[in-house]
Amino acid sequence: MKPVDAVIIGYGWTGAIMAKELTDAGLSVLVLERGPERDTATDFDYPRIADELKYAVRGDLWQPLAGETVTVRHKPGEIAVPYRQYGSFILGTGTGGAGAHWNGQQWRASPNDLRIRSVYEERYGKKFIPDDMTIQDYGISFEELEPYFDHFEKVTGVAGTAGGNPYEGKRSNPFPQQPLAPILSSQLFAEAARELGYQPFAVPAANSTAAYTNPYGVRMGPCNLCGFCEGFGCFLYSKAAPQTTIIPILKGRNNLKVLHNAYVTRILLDGSGKLATGVRYIDANGKQVDQPAAMVVLASFQLNNVRMLLLSGIGKPYDPVTGKGVVGKNYAYQMVSSTTAFFDESVNMNPFMGAGAAGQQAIDDYNADHFDHSKHGFVGGAMIFAGATGGRPIVQMPLPPDAPRWGSGWKSAVRKHYAHTSSVATMGSVMSYRDRYLDLDPTYRDAHGVPLLRMTFDWHPNEYKMTAFTSARAAEIVTAMKPQRMSQRILKPGDSYDVRVYQSTHNTGGAIIGTNPSNSVLNRYSQCWDVPNVFVFGASSFPQNIGYNPTGLVAALTYFAAAKIRSTYLKTGGALVHA
Amino acid sequence: MNKRNLFIGAGAVVVIGLLTVISATRWSDARAGAHPQASAASAEMIARGAYLARVGDCAACHSVQGQPPYSGGLRMETPIGAIYTSNITPDRQHGIGNYTLADFDRALRYGVANGHTLYPAMPYSAYSSTTPEDVAALYAYFTREVRPAAVPRRENEIPFPLSMRWPLTIWRLAFAPEPRAFQLKTDDAMLRRGAYIVEGLGHCGDCHTPRGPALQVRALGAAGGPAYLSGAMIDGWHAPSLRNGDSTTIGAWSEADIAQFLRTGTNRHGIAFASMNEVIANSTQFLSAEDAAAAAHFLKSLTDPTSGKGAYAYDPAVSQSLRNGDASARGAQLYLDNCAACHRPDGKGYEGVFPALAGNPVVTAAPPDSVIRIILEGMTTARTAGTPAQFSMPSFARRLSDQEVADVATFVRDSWGNRGAPVAATDVKRRATAREEAKP
Amino acid sequence: MTESHPLKRRDFLRGAAGVALASGMAAAGGAAPEAKAYVPAYFTPAEWAFINAAVDRLIPDDGNGPGGVAAGVPVFLDKQMQLPYGYGAYWYMQGPFHPEAPPTLGYQLRQTPRELYRAGIALIDRAAAHAHGKPFAQLDAAQRDALLTQADGGHLQEDGTMAAAFFALLLRNTREGFFADPIYGGNKQMAAWKMVGFPGARADFTDFIDQQGRKYPYGPVSIDGSRG
Repeated sequence: MKPVDAVIIGYGWTGAIMAKELTDAGLSVLVLERGPERDTATDFDYPRIADELKYAVRGDLWQPLAGETVTVRHKPGEIAVPYRQYGSFILGTGTGGAGAHWNGQQWRASPNDLRIRSVYEERYGKKFIPDDMTIQDYGISFEELEPYFDHFEKVTGVAGTAGGNPYEGKRSNPFPQQPLAPILSSQLFAEAARELGYQPFAVPAANSTAAYTNPYGVRMGPCNLCGFCEGFGCFLYSKAAPQTTIIPILKGRNNLKVLHNAYVTRILLDGSGKLATGVRYIDANGKQVDQPAAMVVLASFQLNNVRMLLLSGIGKPYDPVTGKGVVGKNYAYQMVSSTTAFFDESVNMNPFMGAGAAGQQAIDDYNADHFDHSKHGFVGGAMIFAGATGGRPIVQMPLPPDAPRWGSGWKSAVRKHYAHTSSVATMGSVMSYRDRYLDLDPTYRDAHGVPLLRMTFDWHPNEYKMTAFTSARAAEIVTAMKPQRMSQRILKPGDSYDVRVYQSTHNTGGAIIGTNPSNSVLNRYSQCWDVPNVFVFGASSFPQNIGYNPTGLVAALTYFAAAKIRSTYLKTGGALVHA
Repeated sequence: MNKRNLFIGAGAVVVIGLLTVISATRWSDARAGAHPQASAASAEMIARGAYLARVGDCAACHSVQGQPPYSGGLRMETPIGAIYTSNITPDRQHGIGNYTLADFDRALRYGVANGHTLYPAMPYSAYSSTTPEDVAALYAYFTREVRPAAVPRRENEIPFPLSMRWPLTIWRLAFAPEPRAFQLKTDDAMLRRGAYIVEGLGHCGDCHTPRGPALQVRALGAAGGPAYLSGAMIDGWHAPSLRNGDSTTIGAWSEADIAQFLRTGTNRHGIAFASMNEVIANSTQFLSAEDAAAAAHFLKSLTDPTSGKGAYAYDPAVSQSLRNGDASARGAQLYLDNCAACHRPDGKGYEGVFPALAGNPVVTAAPPDSVIRIILEGMTTARTAGTPAQFSMPSFARRLSDQEVADVATFVRDSWGNRGAPVAATDVKRRATAREEAKP
Repeated sequence: MTESHPLKRRDFLRGAAGVALASGMAAAGGAAPEAKAYVPAYFTPAEWAFINAAVDRLIPDDGNGPGGVAAGVPVFLDKQMQLPYGYGAYWYMQGPFHPEAPPTLGYQLRQTPRELYRAGIALIDRAAAHAHGKPFAQLDAAQRDALLTQADGGHLQEDGTMAAAFFALLLRNTREGFFADPIYGGNKQMAAWKMVGFPGARADFTDFIDQQGRKYPYGPVSIDGSRG
């Protein structure tokens, strides 16, 4: 195979960003994407896309678990079993990755999220953070990332209200678009929140409010609240996805080649193990190919990134007993609760009108370090938000907890509540702990015979306290919405992590950014300490998870590193940070 | 494929015999004096030649996907068999490597090459007004810049005796003009430039001007009368009138609108589709801003004597009804169920993503073929340097019956101030049948 | 012991047979379209009887909106068994299998949907025979509900784990069939969508963004363009 300057593994959000940046810099780039080629006209066309069963239940746009999945156990020492059916999180595949079917809520991290250990120790004392909580600062400041948060918002045409969120870090520019008007459930939420003294604001939405042309010259259409958003590709070109924002400009580039159905199985290293020589992949014809490259960009999504490093022998696998090793360390996730308001028939929610993010409202008062934690005894917090994403009847049918699950009672409840219900959710942060990590499963393999990734994870008291506190606030707001009745679904102490119930696809960590090789896999430019010509992008960089959706921070870290790669690494090579 | 019927009846045979001797005489006419003089090619000349090759859209016919540029081989169907385009790379054996400037000029403007008349699929009727300087620039570009490709000429698949070319000479003498210097009496240089492009290398009339019984275009330029650019059927689509008229033409478009359309394929009024997508992708997107403005200027100068319905004015009544939950008009519910998500209940679409149907000449054009066909077949927009994203309309052929297509087409032609005649199911059936036949 | 076969036997009351025949013909008049329209390709006649009986209890025809059977849920289920979903194409199905793993780690049986239906139906039918001497489909409503509740709770004596897994799958798929687009065989005439007021595959609410709270005026539309 002819060598290329750079191989990019994965053509999702980070892969598309890096393909743009590196081809702009004149590099010859090969993108290897394991899934099929997908575009709006061929794969998300109307009316075929308006199919809840196919896309939101069977998940035809998601990674087929039959070929590859992860195994899960709650505690070290237990037997891990495969995540055989979709539940807790959803994985992307094909052009656009998970970015093709995400919601489009696009957040910036809070400034203190980036230096969380320092902030908590300064404010509440060193003892406040439990010994087995392995959180750490990123080593990058919000101010350094702000220009890239801003750029990505312009690329995706985010609709939001500058100044709307009083806790947001200082921004250099307003949002490129004004938000869409809130839908009824959001209106009721916002009114109640204001009543209680909060400052609700429009959730920043990468669902375009109007026809919009991004800095790359790519045109997007406006969102009309079609109701088939998360889990689906957008037929209206309204939702920002790699194929509606970046990839059109990359088509036809002479220095870019994209291979689909190309499954990378490992990064190849030289004899010293300190330099990547390329990647090995299985091509669309089932042949194994070794592709030489001067630089390898790992952009395959957080779980796959960690697996790839482990399979390739890059870095030392984390050992939870000794605490040594870093690859797989600090796996974190998201803790979500929902509080549902049931109104009477006079309140027509029209729940089928909705988007992944457009039309939603939120408060950020109890997120990050936006409030005094000293009396609450937990680290972190949650964003509280309201809005419908579609009211699709198979999956999105909230009923009171006492409604029967089947039979005439179920029918009556469905009939009564479907169009008159609203939910308020808390999106809570999850901290890293010693006993949460990723490694390779000793037993199970994927369809190519390659070992699967094993996830060891269960909840800790910190999360139960956090979600109890923030959910209580949500309940107050819902009460102020004056529903006929309400119910809550909150995880409580004793509830183990349940893979059957969807939380989010905000899996983080395992290949974390840090200040030195003993506490991280990557330096601040997402470069591998051990193998400097390997760069890893995605939420795998997060030392712990934030109380927001991750993609804004993922992209900012990527653009931040890309700028350094273009300005320095491509001239000098080698380590960008010396340990 | 281009189809041509070079014969219009047995009567033509008699005429053919009588004129054979005449063609022999005209055949050898070299009139060398009219050809541009060969001169050393300059870089500037070559660059201009490259630009003109784009304006004339040579690649559309002489380049085939997967083969070297300009190496020919595009198959064009005719009722008497298929012909293939020539290799016009400077390869000495298979291309025009041995062409002198005079040979090149003869082919381009006179329609004669290698001692015989070219099939009219090569649009030498339009190219006849190209200036000698521009011919020389094209020649310089093709012989100096285009890479030689040793791709053999494909033999035409026309059986003998139909393969004899001498009847083509008769057609050429009757319908192709003598090459002439381009003339337009006006002080408006912009107008003159626009006419030169549109009537000449741009050969827009080959599609937008109706044809006569010998398949000749009814007017070769503005001087030919109001038939020029008055709208025609091309490849099963309707290429609408480009004359400045009422809402059934581009009368409501400004010169800036037209120029934007030619350079990007989209403007606030609509988005290009069908054959026009190819013209834009291969040719007009590369027009300089000045030339695009000139072409627009020229088009606005062509009055349409048939127009008289008055300027288009948006009528919000239909949009209001739909907002209020009233979908009782013929085709209205179908429009809501199928079309409104993209083209919007108010018919305004989203500029640059989904075209407006309100006030769109294509929608209200007299033959409704294009509306019917795009509903049946769907379409994807052209990709240009200025508009890298491509947008698609899906096919509704499986979802809608002929009657339903007729109903929804009728609805869009008669809503928001549009004034188009109703569409019948039989119109749809005819179009659908042709489409079935077109399947490989 | 000699076996006793409780087939229809010794029906020597010809008058009764005549009465039954007459009522059967009357019933056939009403039921014939469905009975003739769909012949299950996967489920055996006994399984088909079970499926109809169970769906009828999960979503009963109680006069308050469509019943699951009338809505075509059994048809949906049989069709799903013939699609990749039925063959487990969406699930990771490599061994080894650990059915004893905690429920919070998700489904760990080795059955594909097709296999799980077959085994689960047989399981419940055996429980029905044990408790009532006849297959599930021949039980009355209260008996069916009691058995389904037992299965749901994992309390079927023979194999509670599989019974619970099967019930969970059946309930999930039944809801899917009830509310999925009619192209999949269920939700006939979009009856379930109309029951709750979901407009189906419309996907355009431009005109109603600024009319929040007003009941949406249009009925549902299916992916294939059918209108409810």
